[in-house]
Amino acid sequence: MDSVRNGCAISVSRFTTSDKSRLLKPLVRKGGKLRPTTFARAVDRAARILNNAKYPLLYGWSQTSCEAISKGIELAELVGGLIDNTTTSCHGPTILGVQDAGEATCTLGEIRHSADLVVYWGCNPVHSHPRHTNRYTIFSKGRFRKTRKDRKLIVVDVRKTDTAKLADRFIQVEPNGDYELLTALRTAINGEEIEQDTIAGVPVETVEEIANMMMECEFGALFFGLGLTMSAGKHRNTEAALALVRDLNYVTKFVIVPMRGWFNVTGANEVSTWQTGYPYAVDLTQGYPRFNPGDTSAIDAIARGEVDAALVVASDPVSHFPREAVKHLLKIPIIAVEPKRTPTSEAAEVVIPSAILGVEAAGTIYRIDGVALEARRVIAPPVGVRPDVEILDTMIKRVKKLGVKH
Amino acid sequence: MPELLIRNGYVFDPLNGIEGERMDIAVKDGKIVESVGRKARVLDASGMTVMPGGVDIHSHIAGSKANCARMMRPEDHSKDPEPKTRHTRSGVGHTIPSVFTTGYRYARMGYTTVFEPATPPLKARHTHEELNDIPIIDKGCFPLFGNNWFVMEYVKQGRIKELAAYVAWMLEATKGYAIKIVNPGGIEAWRWGGNLRHLDDTVPNFDVTPREIVRALCQVNKILDLPHAVHIHPNGLSEPGNYQTTLDTMECARDFRREGRTTMHVTHAQFTGRKGWSWPDVRSGAPEIADYVNAHDHVSIDPGQLIFTNVTWMTADGPAMFALYKLAKTKWFNADVEAETGAGIVSATYKKSNYVNAMQWGIALELALLVKDPWKVYLTTDHPNGGPFTSYPRVISWLVSNQARQRLLDKINKTAKRRLNLPGIDREYSLYEIATITRAATAKSLGLVSKGHLGSGADADIAIYDIEPKKIDPVKEYKAVRKAFAHAAYTIKDGRTVVKKGEVVRSVQGRTFWTKPKVSDDIMKTMIADLEAKFDDYYTVRMANYPIEERYLTASQMITTNAGV
Amino acid sequence: MADLLITPVKHFKIPITAECISPDFVAGKSLREIELTQVWEGNRRVKLGSLFKIAGEIGRTPSDCTIRIRGNMSAVRRIGYEMSGGSIQVDGDAGMYLGERTKGGTITVAGNAGSWLGTQMRGGHIEVKGNTGDSIGGSVRGGTKGMRGGMIRIHGDCGTEAGAWMQNGMIRIGGNCDLYAGMHMKNGTVVVERDCQGRVGAQMTGGKVIVLGNAGGLLPSFQFEEIRERSKADDEKIAGPFYVFSGDVNEGGKGQFFARVSDNPDLKWNERYLER
Repeated sequence: MDSVRNGCAISVSRFTTSDKSRLLKPLVRKGGKLRPTTFARAVDRAARILNNAKYPLLYGWSQTSCEAISKGIELAELVGGLIDNTTTSCHGPTILGVQDAGEATCTLGEIRHSADLVVYWGCNPVHSHPRHTNRYTIFSKGRFRKTRKDRKLIVVDVRKTDTAKLADRFIQVEPNGDYELLTALRTAINGEEIEQDTIAGVPVETVEEIANMMMECEFGALFFGLGLTMSAGKHRNTEAALALVRDLNYVTKFVIVPMRGWFNVTGANEVSTWQTGYPYAVDLTQGYPRFNPGDTSAIDAIARGEVDAALVVASDPVSHFPREAVKHLLKIPIIAVEPKRTPTSEAAEVVIPSAILGVEAAGTIYRIDGVALEARRVIAPPVGVRPDVEILDTMIKRVKKLGVKH
Repeated sequence: MPELLIRNGYVFDPLNGIEGERMDIAVKDGKIVESVGRKARVLDASGMTVMPGGVDIHSHIAGSKANCARMMRPEDHSKDPEPKTRHTRSGVGHTIPSVFTTGYRYARMGYTTVFEPATPPLKARHTHEELNDIPIIDKGCFPLFGNNWFVMEYVKQGRIKELAAYVAWMLEATKGYAIKIVNPGGIEAWRWGGNLRHLDDTVPNFDVTPREIVRALCQVNKILDLPHAVHIHPNGLSEPGNYQTTLDTMECARDFRREGRTTMHVTHAQFTGRKGWSWPDVRSGAPEIADYVNAHDHVSIDPGQLIFTNVTWMTADGPAMFALYKLAKTKWFNADVEAETGAGIVSATYKKSNYVNAMQWGIALELALLVKDPWKVYLTTDHPNGGPFTSYPRVISWLVSNQARQRLLDKINKTAKRRLNLPGIDREYSLYEIATITRAATAKSLGLVSKGHLGSGADADIAIYDIEPKKIDPVKEYKAVRKAFAHAAYTIKDGRTVVKKGEVVRSVQGRTFWTKPKVSDDIMKTMIADLEAKFDDYYTVRMANYPIEERYLTASQMITTNAGV
Repeated sequence: MADLLITPVKHFKIPITAECISPDFVAGKSLREIELTQVWEGNRRVKLGSLFKIAGEIGRTPSDCTIRIRGNMSAVRRIGYEMSGGSIQVDGDAGMYLGERTKGGTITVAGNAGSWLGTQMRGGHIEVKGNTGDSIGGSVRGGTKGMRGGMIRIHGDCGTEAGAWMQNGMIRIGGNCDLYAGMHMKNGTVVVERDCQGRVGAQMTGGKVIVLGNAGGLLPSFQFEEIRERSKADDEKIAGPFYVFSGDVNEGGKGQFFARVSDNPDLKWNERYLER
């Protein structure tokens, strides 16, 4: 790959580093070391591990296509396992919030066309989504809002980030104080009196000022990130934000959009939901789908020492999971289906190299706002490296051939 | 595939005028044929009712809003799980079943074709991913046009030819089957938190009216000779007094009549069939609507029957959903789609004791019973808005037995019972008429020439129910009727037995039907130039990424028409 | 009273779902039938008898049954599911979903219990000598109907969202409580004898949360009502004095939150709203 045009920093590196640290051959652990083997042998070993397991976990998924995720669900149902994706450590709280409060949202174009007020809460798109402000918010051009002057930006965060520097109003909230601040805004918007002088470090006059800005806009959009989902309260923080936007709809038009991070994590949620009814942390061990994050979620099940085998697809939990979970993860057989060498693949029993979606393999992906697109293949994968769909399909066939124990 | 002979059943095939005759049905290579050889497998249907497989014209089973509803309502699923079996994948059910469960449950009732009636074009790819995954049934979807920026601009400019080309292009791009309109102009008004109530209100910033939008699209429907009518959900959903808007809507495009086909299909008419000024005052507008349908040939309706149970409201009509949320105070989901349409979802429970709910239930039945011609009124619950599609057998039992209706009338809100016309209606549907409203008429309305009947050349989609017409009295034995329609003795899809005794024994892949009107190259070129000039301004995806390729559909079934442009 | 003795034969790592460990299931059955009952061990169906030694006597009706379990049951889920009478005694830790949907009877746990204890409980009594997890006495995911009767008594500490969506009944926590006690509560009473992490009564629409220790602050959606000498938890009078707040105003709520004056100096500022 020589060069990439029109990409943002994050996407460019996905293409230009696609040849770095690649896994090129299937590997199987023999005598304590990972040794090259054939694809068929690696799939066979993987199939046996999953088949023998009593509580296997199939994890990752957010970097693969919907077609691959569909195969993953089929495999999880076949072997009787848990299937979970990176939502579990990221925007799971958002989904849980929606399950209690609902969600008033829209596709991103609506915001570009109409929003005269934009709020970024607990997220830093200048770094996490470099094109966001250009494409959809303050620097974008829409049918009804044509210039920066047509829109106002409020940023709420625990510190003054680079995104905050662009704001018309920056509100610094005390760490872990978002729930209180969101509640106070709701109180003001619902026309009730706030009896406190400061809320999470924010003076009540400022709360009322922001509430007024929100009520007086014609079309407001609230974007939020890990600042809400991962601070104290988690899904109750997101629920409060969702409820705030819902309450605002009594007064004006307002929408909310989560800033999702992991490539096709939205796709993982969508496929999982239409096939099992549930967006992540799906338990298929008892022959039908069950869902209860905290019980059926990957990190929790691993940390409790329950999982006895793990298939990890395009993800690196050994690097990202909390230590308690990693400790146990390293004790069980891991099957890593992965383009690159990672700490997870280094710890695996079986490693199967896979093609990178959107670079070397095509497939369906979902944008944050639920718009499905087709990622295309631009270059061929290294010789012998297959797309996830093919790998998983072969694994399913092998498990069926061996005869399921579950 | 071996040949099949379905022997000696009581056949109901309204499209071919067969009314309960004892006869054999022969199947070869997935089609119905005149006869088969002696080596054919024999299925003994003695003592049973044989009908074409059910064809559902309106059921929200797939796509973005169905999935948002699934995601938002785990409590809906946890009480109705479906374990996997040797032949079936696991899933969850109740009001918004997962995709595998959806296909199996339809097949268990003897249904073999279902249409998803409201697809936002920008998200059509999602709809097709789900449709691909729904087993057994044939399917299709209706893309939404009534709040589309290109549509409204062409309407404003009076450029009907270009509008026709655009609709043709969109049907191919989205792999859609028919034109769907939901709350024309109202969802664009919802962009600013507003709505439109009447046909002659003006869409903000676009300076067109719902009347103009509906008329233009009906005209386009005629020009493109599309297989189905324009499928429409009028303005004013759920508002007291909205029956008048329904009448106005039906009347507004009367001059675009089509020979032998309807111009317009008004869906879930119960939701827009209310008289009265306020909620405590809601009355039935069913007699007026039925009178209109009886007197005119250009329209058909489906009632959207209400069932007293927990439901999920889901529709493209975003503003209507927020209005209902404010009353229900449950969970509300909204998803506007740029330049095109919207979606709203609310969870709700219908209660017999609730006056408005009881009226709605009654209005729907009145519509079905007062429209005289069963070729003009189809059985739906607007799943999952009125009730889950698994309630169809219950609705059938109410239609065939006045006794069944009266029993329920005695349990509903007393004021509603007094104000409804239903207690005084004693009409009872025959099995022949049931076959009409659940398969023959719907297939005909959809223009699916190989469905909904058992004549030679039809697809071998057949449902066999354990009802012996000569022995059973549906009026008294309506519970047995309900049970029989809930668990088909056999469901056959393309000549293969997929259900036996109400259980799925085989899973097959159904086809996705879509329409490609053939428009002249010149007008298409002009329209595409318009599209290209504005696409990047209107959308946040590139035009090259918008159309869905045919290979995306697992089993594509294209229907072509010769357009008049 | 007939006692059925259940003892794990090994240390359980893989989760076991055993709704049959309930008086309603065992009543009137033979030991053999109980041993042969199939339960889930992870994704395998196994006989209860392969996981537990089962001995003793079984009553003819649920109320006649006492199930005594000795050992670490922390991986065993749904013990006491939907029971209507009788008793279960766990001499050890108990797993998740203990006593879900119980209608009557008693469950006691000598050790700790997992999360989702007493979900959708309708009656009966659950008592845990140690600590418990999150969402006790609550609802299913996405649901709005929590426990509506019965009593949950936790001697130790409790996790987040105790009594979420509670419709009625009583929860008493002897130790500390994490965030969101009484979340979305509609009615019923939650008493916390020590401290709360904060956000008590979030989004409640009715009912009462009484905190005897430090409540961890006050949400801006609550309004100060008065100082009261005592609070009432069912028939029991608890000595205060208490700051009494009503809320959650964002839900149109008429719930009450009591915070003991002596332990909540950080709430003293509310006294400026006292009637002169």
